Amino acid sequence: MSRVRDRTEDYKDSVRVAALSHGYTESQLAALMSSFIIRKPSPRSPFTNAAVKTLESIRELEKFIVKHRKDYVDMHRTTEQERDTIEHEVGVFVKACKEQIDILKNRIHEDERNKRAKTWLGTSDENSRLDLIAHQHGVVLILSERLHSVTAQFDRLRSMRFQEAINRAMPRKKFKKKPETKLAETPKSNLVLQSDVSKSGDQEVSTAPLRVQEQLLDDETRALQVELSNLLDTVQETETKMIEMSALNHLMSTHVLQQAQQIQYLYDQAVEATNNVERGNKELSQAIQRNSSSRTFLLLFFFVLTFSVLFLDWYKN
Amino acid sequence: MALSLRKKQLDLITRMLHLNQQQSSPDGGGDGEEEAYKILVMDGPCISLLSPVLRVGDLRKHGVTLHLNIDKARQQVPDAPAVYLVRPTPANADRIAADAAAGLYASFHINFSTSVPRPVLERLASATAASRSAHRVARVADQYLDFTCLEDGLFSLAQPRAYVSLNDPAAADADITAVVDAIALGLFCVASTLGTVPIIRCARGGPAEMVAAALDARLRDHLLAKPNLFTEAASSAASSFQRPVLCLFDRNFELSVGIQHDWSYRPLVHDVLSLKLNKLKLPTEKYDLDDSDPFWVANSWLEFPEVAKEIEAQLAKYKQDVDEVNQRTGGGRDGVEFDGTDLIGNTKHLMNAVNSLPELTDRKKMIDKHTNIATALLARIKERSLDGYYRCENDMLENGTVDRSMLLSLLSGKGTKEDKLRLAVTYLLSFEAPPPSELEQVEAALRESDVDMSAFLYVKRIKSLNTQFAAASSTASRSNIVDWAEKLYGQSISAVTNYLSDGRQLALTRTVEALMEGKPNPEVDNYILFDPRAPRSGTGGQFRGPFREAIVFMIGGGNYIEYRSLIELGQRSQPSKHVIYGATEILNGVEFIQQLAELGQKAGLGSGGSNLPSQ
Repeated sequence: MSRVRDRTEDYKDSVRVAALSHGYTESQLAALMSSFIIRKPSPRSPFTNAAVKTLESIRELEKFIVKHRKDYVDMHRTTEQERDTIEHEVGVFVKACKEQIDILKNRIHEDERNKRAKTWLGTSDENSRLDLIAHQHGVVLILSERLHSVTAQFDRLRSMRFQEAINRAMPRKKFKKKPETKLAETPKSNLVLQSDVSKSGDQEVSTAPLRVQEQLLDDETRALQVELSNLLDTVQETETKMIEMSALNHLMSTHVLQQAQQIQYLYDQAVEATNNVERGNKELSQAIQRNSSSRTFLLLFFFVLTFSVLFLDWYKN
Repeated sequence: MALSLRKKQLDLITRMLHLNQQQSSPDGGGDGEEEAYKILVMDGPCISLLSPVLRVGDLRKHGVTLHLNIDKARQQVPDAPAVYLVRPTPANADRIAADAAAGLYASFHINFSTSVPRPVLERLASATAASRSAHRVARVADQYLDFTCLEDGLFSLAQPRAYVSLNDPAAADADITAVVDAIALGLFCVASTLGTVPIIRCARGGPAEMVAAALDARLRDHLLAKPNLFTEAASSAASSFQRPVLCLFDRNFELSVGIQHDWSYRPLVHDVLSLKLNKLKLPTEKYDLDDSDPFWVANSWLEFPEVAKEIEAQLAKYKQDVDEVNQRTGGGRDGVEFDGTDLIGNTKHLMNAVNSLPELTDRKKMIDKHTNIATALLARIKERSLDGYYRCENDMLENGTVDRSMLLSLLSGKGTKEDKLRLAVTYLLSFEAPPPSELEQVEAALRESDVDMSAFLYVKRIKSLNTQFAAASSTASRSNIVDWAEKLYGQSISAVTNYLSDGRQLALTRTVEALMEGKPNPEVDNYILFDPRAPRSGTGGQFRGPFREAIVFMIGGGNYIEYRSLIELGQRSQPSKHVIYGATEILNGVEFIQQLAELGQKAGLGSGGSNLPSQ
């Protein structure tokens, strides 16, 4: 729904009228009118071309993530390995985009320095590039913000994956425990039963030594069983702990990286501040020196003046 | 169809920033992104128009790298397109032509905030043709955006001192017509942004009728031209049931609302700390108070003591949450337990805690911000004993009684001069005929406090004129400005006193409710109706209601108190109706009383007070 009134036609008409009044020739008029209809794309600086290319690549990255999102998140569609490959690819892509952005940023700084080096007299030239430099910084900022949002999207997917991995590990452990406790209980009950049976069977003398051997073997197997299941338990616990640790690591690293830049900036600022304070101190001490020296000089000056006035007065008289 | 003015304005601006190209879908070609990095150049009024709606970060999302003021010196950025959003004045046209001649930018997309008059367009065209740079201009468009949308249902035309210009006894006819035309153009922008042709109703006589006539004429002319901005909307809002009603009021209709002290949070902040364009500037720092602040959205209409309680409740909840987070992650526990299950739960809690940290910091910042604001408010309130003023004025306006001793003690006690003046004028306005002795005392108290009496005398004079002209008939020629002004005052103040006897609903709210319901009502029956869609001569369907949506416009100064009562009206009625409120400018009490004082001085009622009309 266009709530906007397009006045370009009116403008073109007024331009034609004005052009005639300003004495355009026919060919110039024709050229002017055609340029309105067919817009000539103006030449673009290499910076802008590079920026547009980077934007294209970021958009491709976004498309890639969107395409594989379902595969990545859904539990049963892909194996762990495929997920890892997806992650790897995305990581490589992100790094490439980041490099491109950094190249753009460096180019801005280089241009600045070059211009400053070339025209050491042309301070006005510097001013004329202020807006351009600000515009290029803005372009870089837009690109990096775009990249941030895409990577944040992907991070969310990754954290979902970790969450599910942990959840998968936990219930298994819980379920494992229950049947194990049951198993632990049943051998005990079996043993008790067996001992009862064996006690009652002891009265039957003939098969006693055989039964005792069987019992010993059974005990051994059961003990082995218990030991192995304990081992399994501990191994699974370790596994879950590892998964959790990696999730926590991932979480911490994102936060730390976020803050790393800020900290770097703060550090630079602090260093600059100390430099400024030192310079300030030096200037202050210089000022104090000059102050005291100027005071003595002033006193001397007045002294000499007074004496010369007295001398002249005495001389007159 | 819920009218959200702000969203519609934002949509228009976004489309303008994307150079009016189709929004490309994520899979679509990158054609629209060829001109992805633009520069936005605006003039002063347009910058203040844009600031409540878009923030700098949002601008970047739309691909704007820089926003510049058209009047400052700018340098060349040769490969970027430039989007201009300016008012259609000749000076701006000259500057744009100069920029085009200097080739500052690759292409120029020029948008004017309202309709650009032909001479200005021709000026621009001839300047660019002369400098052989006309090919750089890619597009010229009228955006019809010239209003500041402070919130979803609140807008201002940013036309300062409209009240003074309209009521100035020495104003020339041409000046008044100019002001009326400017207001009509602003209202046209609002109507076109909403995409509807409203039915206009206003009181007889006075600036409201003039503005209504001008707006009606403009809408009719526009509807005749093709293509017009409302053709698409016509198909969707075929029945007049869905057209809103535009109620025009003049500030003189209810003067007391403009100057009274109020006790709710938002009017207090606006009044005491001067909130401008949703931005608040305290001596120590600046704050933004708008829809992004959930505490503000939820609690801004509460009375001040309750707001303080709310802040404390939020602070307690925040502390509780922080303690919980600390406890769960072993912050204060002695001895660490390495129990298996506990560790897993521990890490989960740790992750939750780390994730919730940014949210907690945001909450803390918000609580701090409101605590600072409330403290500043409290300091000023104590200093000026504003609660006493509020109570006294409320008594007078609501109950019609006055505690004489309290009135006089307030007038001679604490409070700035404007506060005392406001109290005195409210006293004057709430009684039809105050006893002369009391009046003398009030005036003496004012003079003692060394208060500039012009506003007081001006209002007194209006009232006295009212008593003399109350009986005059409504039909009179409007050529003499003083004549129609006095006629207007007669009707308005009598209307006010009628309403005030009935409890303290604002007269404005009552009238709007009556207008929206459309039932025959003696108060509003003689309000004129303009329908730009109806044929001029025909008697066909004067549609009087009921309406579901209303746009209320106040010529003169608007106020948050009126805004709140209109919101309440909207919520109260069932089915809930939607009311948008606007004014030529949003004034707080201090500024309005200054305008009244200025009028008083212009009318020659300076501090001499020698031409007091006899009562």
